[in-house]
Amino acid sequence: MKKDYTVVGKNIRKLDAIEKAMGAATFTTDIKLPGMLYGKVLRSPYPHARIVKIDTSKAEALPGVKAVATYLNTPRVKFNTSATSTFTIPPLQPVEDQYVFDSVVRYVGDEVAAVAATSKKVAEEALELIEVEYELLPTVFDPLAAMKEEAPSLHHCEAGKNVPGEKIHIEMGDIELGFAEADYVFEHTFKLPVQKQAQMETQAAVAQVSVDGKVTVWSTTQTPHPSRRILATIFGLPYSKVRVLNPPYIGGGFGVRIGLSAKAEPIALALAMLAKQPVKVVYDRKEDFIASDTRHSGYVTVKTGVKKDGTFTARKIMGILNSGAYCSWSAETPGVLGAMGLSIYYCPNQMYDGHSVYTNTTPAGAMRGFGNPQGMFAVDSQVDIIAEELGMDPMEIRRKNIMRPGLPWVLPYPCQSSGLEECMDLGAKAIVWDQRGKQNQDSDTIRRGIGMAIGTHVSNAWPFCGDYSNAYVTVQQDGSIQVASGVPDMGTGTITTLSQMAAEVMGIAFGQVGITFADTESTPFEIGSHASRTCYASGTAVVAAAQDARKQVFEYAANMLEVTPGELDIENGIIYSTLTQEKNISLGQVAMEAHLRGQQFIGVGRIIPQNAPPYLAHFAEVEVDTETGKVRVTKMVAAHDVGKAIHPLIVEGQLEGGLAMGIGYALSEEIKYDDRGRQLNNGFHKYMLPTAMDIPELEAIIVEAEDPTGPFGAKGVGETGLVATAAAIANAVYDAIGIRFFEIPLTEERVYRALKERK
Amino acid sequence: MQKKILKFKLNGELMELLVSPSDTLVDVVRDKLGLTGTKKGCGKGECGACTVIMNGQSVNSCIVPAMQAMDAEVETIEGIGTSDKMHPLQETFIDYGAIQCGFCTPGMIMSAKALLDGNLSPSRLQIKETIAGNICRCTGYVKIEQAVLAAADKLKASKDK
Repeated sequence: MKKDYTVVGKNIRKLDAIEKAMGAATFTTDIKLPGMLYGKVLRSPYPHARIVKIDTSKAEALPGVKAVATYLNTPRVKFNTSATSTFTIPPLQPVEDQYVFDSVVRYVGDEVAAVAATSKKVAEEALELIEVEYELLPTVFDPLAAMKEEAPSLHHCEAGKNVPGEKIHIEMGDIELGFAEADYVFEHTFKLPVQKQAQMETQAAVAQVSVDGKVTVWSTTQTPHPSRRILATIFGLPYSKVRVLNPPYIGGGFGVRIGLSAKAEPIALALAMLAKQPVKVVYDRKEDFIASDTRHSGYVTVKTGVKKDGTFTARKIMGILNSGAYCSWSAETPGVLGAMGLSIYYCPNQMYDGHSVYTNTTPAGAMRGFGNPQGMFAVDSQVDIIAEELGMDPMEIRRKNIMRPGLPWVLPYPCQSSGLEECMDLGAKAIVWDQRGKQNQDSDTIRRGIGMAIGTHVSNAWPFCGDYSNAYVTVQQDGSIQVASGVPDMGTGTITTLSQMAAEVMGIAFGQVGITFADTESTPFEIGSHASRTCYASGTAVVAAAQDARKQVFEYAANMLEVTPGELDIENGIIYSTLTQEKNISLGQVAMEAHLRGQQFIGVGRIIPQNAPPYLAHFAEVEVDTETGKVRVTKMVAAHDVGKAIHPLIVEGQLEGGLAMGIGYALSEEIKYDDRGRQLNNGFHKYMLPTAMDIPELEAIIVEAEDPTGPFGAKGVGETGLVATAAAIANAVYDAIGIRFFEIPLTEERVYRALKERK
Repeated sequence: MQKKILKFKLNGELMELLVSPSDTLVDVVRDKLGLTGTKKGCGKGECGACTVIMNGQSVNSCIVPAMQAMDAEVETIEGIGTSDKMHPLQETFIDYGAIQCGFCTPGMIMSAKALLDGNLSPSRLQIKETIAGNICRCTGYVKIEQAVLAAADKLKASKDK
């Protein structure tokens, strides 16, 4: 491939931007079909109860009501709202523990019934007419309590009391020997909060059933193909008779809809089948909070053995995560926590044990980082503790221990690239690391501090989970090309990036590329948008498809030009011989000539991705008001090894957005429950996510240590922005006030209490 | 409840329609008049996705009773530019990478427009305060602030000509 790219690496105008800026972009919540009904859901007010009796007759009698769905008239097929049925590879089995509606409710917000009516108001009125008699069951809210013998069982579990799926065990070297070799051993336990994706568009779906039974579902899913499989399975339909698509835009995701959009799709479809009319289900914001996956809260313990010179000899991590009432991604998330937490540093003796535990709270599932931010808050808080105990600079202890290409690690693929040390050096320079510890006078009540933390992540889910991509690149008769990929663009710039790659390989202008995406009917199977994979994995498939088409074009053109295919190249849509420049022809001419002879160039890309580690170093500068406990981040620097930035502006956007979400995780975002299992923070005014006022100067630094496995060298970038943000901020707070926090968020209250206790 | 006639100007065009007193302005604009550019993110005036400009002021249209728009001039994202001649904010939002999922974008642009309509030299802090009621979960706000600053410069330059 050419080194001087004409399209890749350029900040081209994003393909979705004009529509979005003009208010012309269509989202699921915008869809209105002829005869469309509005669906609303009755949710459990109790954290654990059996439905003894349910009477829907009054609701059904209300004028305008067209269908009422309960566990009595919907499929009794178990599933998982998350796409585990597609992702899980034998011998592991996907955990399927949900029905569309069940006779037992397991958290406040769990689905009891749904109504389809001619208006939202009538549907809401009808919900109040449904009479339900509950028998209350015992509850448990904390994962440690839920593991105990006397705790109520939420589901049948093989691996242990209330443990969904399997317990994860990862091991390398000899952990006992590693601790024996250590001069010091450190062990700390950290507590992590419930964070919410809080994507701007709530969970939503519109379902339509044609008179001959074909199903179409417009949805906010991040994974149309896997979501189609879940729906087809629940409703007993051939996959080919179910179409799932984005319309085509989604108002954010951050992991909350890898699979179904909570239960918006199956509820809309069940109602549409009963009513024989299209049905739209849009969660309101409160429903999105209480009845749609969150990030996993839980406990992470890190035990590290270290030599006097700072060399790590052993590291053991243990993770107990709160699954909530259903499994969702709770079998997988503890694995990523452990695998990533162990892999950022080289350490010859490592071990991880972790799992999730069911409780009567909102299910936890995928959220940006997928266990990694939880693990890295613990790991990189502890690394700073160790550095201080040994009298080392936090930069130096990390430099001594970071993972480097070629070294062994626990991951089942090799580390082939790393720009981590460069990230650390550039970040340290930008934050002025030398200022650390020198910014405060004894009398200062506002104290400043600087901290850092590092991390890595994945570029897709292989080989932990099933992960593959297909794509088509079809040359049109005029020489323009049509790309087809099943991957959504949830705001991450995916369609722009994929089109850039296709244009680069085909040697044509960006404006000559059209793209079809996020539609199961017009694209081949593709896993979807998750695990920082779209640029890396979907991109690899598009590149393979474009290379296939290019090869076909060159073979055809070589005949026309009477040269060999191997000597051909293409630039700006002109195919030419690299040996005899005057032998040239436009791609359009070749495509039209082929068309007249009954042929089209159809490139197919079928790939199983490899994997590659992106790297990051985060630096935070904070001010802590010792009179109020208020922590303010005044600057954040994030230096990221992204392999190759296909579109630098999009990459910066991913990093900055991740940083903002990470600042929220560190300082303010948390969902708490009362003693009856009800969320105390179930709306934007109660859930303190960052606004523009809370975001400091953000400096994203792009480092390009190209990975041989990525398209044009690219690695994953979607999640890395918040992997180490909380740890960096907590470390900066320690530098400012000398107090170490083992729990986030660092709210004014928590910091104030700690300051007061110290006095 | 008895329906009432609502008359108001939407993007310069006179509208007259029957609404329920319980309808909100966002419901009228999105559901009855079919302008879906204005988004609904919370229905409680907490996220700013539904921001429109009413009589020169930015408002959360999800908590404005529709009848309050009687005789008012309402501007939505659809009314401020065309694809041939975009509003400078629309151009700078695109060019500065201020748009990711795009769900907050219309409300964000309308909040910013209400600011720039009265002040072509806003400070960074004024911009932050202006959009503090508009939640964006994708961008981290920095590129949005840069886009608003750049749009102000563009508007100033075209005014000075």
